[in-house]
Amino acid sequence: MSRGGPRKPGLRPPGPCRPREEGRLSPGNSFPEALTSQLPPPAPPLPPPGPPPSGGCLLPPALRAMAATGSVEAALQVAEALETIVSRCLGPEGRQVLCTKPTGEVLLSRDGGRLLGALHLEHPAARLVVAYVSSHLRKTGDGAKTFVVFLCHLLRGLHAMTDGEQDSLASKHMQTHRRHWKNCCRWKLISQFLLTFQTHRLDYIVDHYLSRHFGSIFSSSTKERTLCRSSLESLLAAYFGGRVGRNNRDFMSRLTCDYFFKCMARERGSEEVLDLVDDYFVELSVGVTGLPVSDSRITPGLVLPRDFSVYRPADGDIRIVIVTETVQPLFSTSGSEFILRSEAQFQTSRFWIMERTKAIMKHLQSQNVKLLLSSVKQPDSVIYYSGLAGISVVECLSPEEVSLIRRITGLSPLALPHASSQDEICNTVLVKFCKPLTFRSKRYVHLGVISTSSFIPHCVVLCGPVQGLVEQHRDALHGAFKMLRQLLKDLDLNYLIQTSDQNHTSSPLVYNESDPLPEVVNGSIQRPRQDTVLRNKSKPAKTQTYSDLVVPSVELETCIIPCSAPKVTPTGTYQTDETLRCFSPTKTRINGDNEPFIESNSANSTENTRREISYENLQITKIPGKGNLLPVREKTLEICAAQGHCFSTIPAGCVLPVGGNFEILLHYYLLHYAKKCQQSEETMVSMIIANALLGVPKILYKSKKGNCSFPQIYVRTLHALQTHQPMVSSQTGLESVAGKYQLLTSVLQCLTKILTIDLVINIKRQPQEIYDQDSEEEV
Amino acid sequence: MSRLEAKKPSLCKSEPLTSERVRATLCVLKGILTSSYGPSGRLKQVHSGFGGCVCTTSQSSALLSNLPVTHPILKILTTSMQNHVSCFRDCGLFTAILCCNLIENVQRTGLTPTTVTKLNQHLLSLCTSYLKSESCGCRILVDFSSPQTLLCLVRSIVTSKPACMLTREERDHLSALILRAFLLTIPENTKDRLILGNSIIVPLKGQRVLDSSVLPGILIEMSEIQLMKILPIKKSEAFKVALFCASLSGDLSDTGEGTMVVTYGVSLENAVLEQLLSLGRQLVSDHVDLVVCQKVIHPSLKQFLSMHRVIAIDRVGVALMEPLSKVTATICSLLLCNRNDTAWDELKLTCQTALHVLQLTIKEPCVLLGGGCTETHLAAYIRHKTCNEPESILKDDGCTQTELQLSTEAFCSALESVAGSLEHDGGEVLTDMKYGHFWSAHAEAPSIVNWPDLLSRCGCGLYNSQEELHWSFLKSTRHPFVPQTYLPHEATGSADNLTLDCFTAKLSGLQVAVETANLILDLSYVIEDKN
Repeated sequence: MSRGGPRKPGLRPPGPCRPREEGRLSPGNSFPEALTSQLPPPAPPLPPPGPPPSGGCLLPPALRAMAATGSVEAALQVAEALETIVSRCLGPEGRQVLCTKPTGEVLLSRDGGRLLGALHLEHPAARLVVAYVSSHLRKTGDGAKTFVVFLCHLLRGLHAMTDGEQDSLASKHMQTHRRHWKNCCRWKLISQFLLTFQTHRLDYIVDHYLSRHFGSIFSSSTKERTLCRSSLESLLAAYFGGRVGRNNRDFMSRLTCDYFFKCMARERGSEEVLDLVDDYFVELSVGVTGLPVSDSRITPGLVLPRDFSVYRPADGDIRIVIVTETVQPLFSTSGSEFILRSEAQFQTSRFWIMERTKAIMKHLQSQNVKLLLSSVKQPDSVIYYSGLAGISVVECLSPEEVSLIRRITGLSPLALPHASSQDEICNTVLVKFCKPLTFRSKRYVHLGVISTSSFIPHCVVLCGPVQGLVEQHRDALHGAFKMLRQLLKDLDLNYLIQTSDQNHTSSPLVYNESDPLPEVVNGSIQRPRQDTVLRNKSKPAKTQTYSDLVVPSVELETCIIPCSAPKVTPTGTYQTDETLRCFSPTKTRINGDNEPFIESNSANSTENTRREISYENLQITKIPGKGNLLPVREKTLEICAAQGHCFSTIPAGCVLPVGGNFEILLHYYLLHYAKKCQQSEETMVSMIIANALLGVPKILYKSKKGNCSFPQIYVRTLHALQTHQPMVSSQTGLESVAGKYQLLTSVLQCLTKILTIDLVINIKRQPQEIYDQDSEEEV
Repeated sequence: MSRLEAKKPSLCKSEPLTSERVRATLCVLKGILTSSYGPSGRLKQVHSGFGGCVCTTSQSSALLSNLPVTHPILKILTTSMQNHVSCFRDCGLFTAILCCNLIENVQRTGLTPTTVTKLNQHLLSLCTSYLKSESCGCRILVDFSSPQTLLCLVRSIVTSKPACMLTREERDHLSALILRAFLLTIPENTKDRLILGNSIIVPLKGQRVLDSSVLPGILIEMSEIQLMKILPIKKSEAFKVALFCASLSGDLSDTGEGTMVVTYGVSLENAVLEQLLSLGRQLVSDHVDLVVCQKVIHPSLKQFLSMHRVIAIDRVGVALMEPLSKVTATICSLLLCNRNDTAWDELKLTCQTALHVLQLTIKEPCVLLGGGCTETHLAAYIRHKTCNEPESILKDDGCTQTELQLSTEAFCSALESVAGSLEHDGGEVLTDMKYGHFWSAHAEAPSIVNWPDLLSRCGCGLYNSQEELHWSFLKSTRHPFVPQTYLPHEATGSADNLTLDCFTAKLSGLQVAVETANLILDLSYVIEDKN
């Protein structure tokens, strides 16, 4: 079996785009042929692909063969075509793409997701990839380009691996469909290996080997878990390096960092702030065209993109109310009937309505209300009377704006029928200021709302010469907050532990079928725990020994054996209440609160204080104590000893230096792992993944020469790893480990899907809405 | 709902700037822009075969909005310039020409886009920090105690629009008018914040430009008959005005979501009209003299009012409502005359530009030297800076000295060619080696010349050629020199015939031009959605 190293460019199949070529991404043109909906012709002669036989479930074998051989080869061609486009926008040296919309708008982008969307691809494999990419983006907000590059390299590896075999299989006597069948089986098998590897082995490698290199975004000098500003800056700089133009990178990362810290009232409220900013980003940002990017700034308070209907300047305490219906009473409400018997009655009614409106506004005035925010358009009389009462009015707030103001201030809308009674209105809050604001002759309402939560309201004003650029920056900024939101959450890992008993894991396939595969999800989902949970990380082989015991800490200390690298320390050894929620009464628990064990040489006090285990630049900190509001931060490791299940996390805030560090490290450890593997399939899968991982750093260092070229970096890093020396990164900047890890799993899931598809059925029918499951039976 | 028609795949082009077509179109656009630039710029006549007005102009706002641009790259460029113009109203052509020059020059150097954008950004920040610094040799602080600087600024703007077709006398008259109109919008007693009033431009087409004038207050157009009715205004006391923004047409307001049942014989229209008339009676009894309504006044009410010698004016529109509603604030009307429609439109744009520039100058009280001198001075400064202190730029970017030199040359010659575009009559364009100012000579100069005799004053008018100066052709290469910084005070105070530019608009234009050029140079693909 040939090991799947990335193929040389010269060996690429013809078709994918070459630079400086123009063409349509459609059938019948030389430009990315692979992206056309027609599948590339395989080796045997085939009938031209036509519409499928109507109503028949049986397809001619030739068509089946065509579709099947397409599944990997075609996917590779598609991926390669996409890679050529995407790789030029990847990394800090990446360049911009201009997308035009049918409406005539132009958009600048380096966002992989947007690019893939803008291409409107027809090829089924391409559409599959795009769908996977966008679902990954929804989750993490970053990594679309890396996704494509990585997928492409994986497919290349698989293709290269099977190239040699195919020749032996493709004996002339073998019939086409039999060969196809054979291929399908093999791909299916490989995809199962991949899936098993991803769900059971990958986490193990990340948890056991990779984790020792993690740094943290949190500063280690204080007792509180505080975000380190310089780390955050380098994280953001690296992120923006891949998303905005080279010359705006530093400016945007500084702006984002400033914004984040300005919005955060307390050091601990970062999660709440990020959630809010991510959810309401559209309302919290204002785009201004015609000004240079460097004029972008942060303003305190909220900026509503509309003008006052009435503006009455006010000083001092400005009390505001929100209404969601018209203040003026109407003749009839929905479902009721107003019977008009005479003209006098009509005039009296109108008079009464006016008086009533006046009374309400007077009452608001007496309550010192200075500003009325309305989600609907108010009648002229309301505007008139509020002007008289010295109340400014802003109308037509969007539901999102109302909800944002409510969330920040805790203000609920005014119930109007009671508003004119003599009681005091309780649904009011104070704002610091309320004034008109003008950006390039467009008027806005600037509102200094006072927050009751840990979010101090600020708006970011994004300037740019053209709308397309402003949009790009807005998207990138939003993505940055999505990324940070993910970063500051723990990410669960779980895997099968490899015990000394080899029977246990000798057959991943058997296991696969007997047990539903546990999904890798993020930290929000609680897993049922079926067995004793041991909360220390010790040498796997000994796990079972402790499974049912309450182990005294003294004993534990003696048992813990450091992992292979001399300086690595087992970390995080106890759980907070949250993770223990599902304990059944029979389970035992090791109480680590009072007897924390620690394997480092540091002389830290270990009792109820924050422990710090330092390894190179690795910082893993934790705060003990129950009822703590902080989520679990330390590494918790849970082993269901009976089945060898192991639960762990990538703690919140884990980062690695940029420049392909994650990829090269994982590559190294995967190779390391592959050497130890007994099973050939596992070796193969980890080799393929390991080699594919290098695809991204290769692109990143493509333009570098001499000492910074990829081979140099690669050799140096590997040498450093082998000799346990600290690694040096040529680039400054950090990236989220959780993001990279999720990306990796998403790509592997996409790949398994591609490999298991044996047939692409081309139908010519208008897309229909699916009402229920009946429509599926028609096919 | 899911889409009903499958979308067509997009068209994807790589390295769009290398395409010959794009280069050619960019070149054409640049040609149009440069030939229109400055006081001696050539006019463009834009007309549509489908009808409509013919537009004769040399202003960027009119040119860019009328040019049909289809290629996405050009669209980015023109939109960017239009956005700049709608923000600042001035320096549109400067920005557009500089941007085109930069793109063209950079492509010639053959440097990678990444390097170029990095270096351009550095050079730009050198420019902006110099222009904002105390030592800047091409910036003058505005002295508000005398109108001289502001008048020069307005005159420079009016002069730079040849399509207005003004004589020298008319230019002076109009510049003074514009400045007076602006000064009338400044409230007399301001507290902490200055809120400027409005000046409304009233068209008086077909009259002489010299008949233009400025009046304090608002002019509302009305028919002669109406005017005749009220003309002998005998009242000596205050003139009462009632202003309505709501409609007085008698339409029914929102009656709610439920149903309204009207008994047979009841007429809502009558009821509403009755209310309107009672409003009229109230107005009469309050001795209101003038009723102004933004929307429509019911004819019956109008008749009722006129019977009681109350003037009613309706449909004044939202644009006039704002100044009317704050009539206590400072408002003036600028009655603008010009001979024909086209020239009037151009003149109106010019007045708006000048008024806006004056507002910007109040906010940031300084001006830049015009006539190409700022550009050449800045280029000389940048050349000197990168030649003598390259370390500050090179240290954090990993660029080589050569790359910096090439990039500086591209940047500076782009700036200089903007200045060079001011000369349209085939004359020589030069720069002096002391101040780094811009000089142009007549075309019919003899081959061997005595420069001090041929050149009289530099572009901005600050320096005289009779000083001991050395000149060099703009196109030629020269040794970097330190242009004299810190303007001599007497030069700025006494000079009454300088050509000046708006500081804010030009600074922003410079930034926008470089940013847009960087953006376009950085493009790797163009993906066109063909749906």
